[in-house]
Amino acid sequence: MSLLSDSIYYEKSSETLERLTESLEDIGDQMEIDDYDIEYSSGVLTLRLGIKGTYVINKQPPNKQIWLSSPVSGPERYDFDSEHGAWFCRQKDESLGTLLNREISDALGVEITLPVK
Amino acid sequence: MFSLAKQFAFTSMRQTPAVRAATIVGSRPVLSAKRFYHERVIDHYENPRNMGSLDKSDPTVGTGLVGAPACGDVMRLQIKVDDGGKIVDVKFKTFGCGSAIASSSYITERVRGMSLDDALKIRNTDIAKELCLPPVKLHCSMLAEDAIRSAIKDFRTKRGGDVIHGAKASAASQSMAA
Repeated sequence: MSLLSDSIYYEKSSETLERLTESLEDIGDQMEIDDYDIEYSSGVLTLRLGIKGTYVINKQPPNKQIWLSSPVSGPERYDFDSEHGAWFCRQKDESLGTLLNREISDALGVEITLPVK
Repeated sequence: MFSLAKQFAFTSMRQTPAVRAATIVGSRPVLSAKRFYHERVIDHYENPRNMGSLDKSDPTVGTGLVGAPACGDVMRLQIKVDDGGKIVDVKFKTFGCGSAIASSSYITERVRGMSLDDALKIRNTDIAKELCLPPVKLHCSMLAEDAIRSAIKDFRTKRGGDVIHGAKASAASQSMAA
């Protein structure tokens, strides 16, 4: 469980999800991909990639975490690391940004870089 | 606590029909799926396998407790292990959504009769696939995987190490009883 204060958690998680939403919307507009849909509401970001599956990235305030559901790697939970300014998962010690860049680039067949570490 | 949760969950499941709404967009009919519970999830919910509890103080019983009420899901999974390292009985109690209940019910079905090492090989993806869990409910399957690991860890900790067949295991249980 994170030692983050509620206000910092709120600030960091909102920032991360808003940045992801904006950049994923831009990617969708630029690339014109079939069945691409992105929705962000009530702290839940849903990214649909047609047959490639659906990503759900959401705030989990009771744990001060961000939760991810990936059609490729399954569910994962991320805690904020203030030192690195990034969200890390407990087991694989990989940041959320690293995983999303890799998996979404793979799914779209083109290298993308999201503004999230 | 658990029966209240079941009542509440039961009501909300009944109000969520399994519906696919067809709408016409342009000249093509478009199917939009409303949120629904897969029939396998409903089956586990209405006919849970192995619901109940084992004696926590029994040296052959391992208890796993995972989740947190604040998150909405709590699972307790208990296993009874014989001297051969085989799971001979298993019980669960879950507070949470239909997918959480189904995930824990299903995993108890899977592990019954398994060795501890085989039970540790069960992945959340197996559970999610079997129950056709939607993306937002994959976390429930992860919790069920955590629950069996927690139960096995508890059992092994109680025994002071790995369960080994025959003599060594009985010696361990004798020294615990002494």
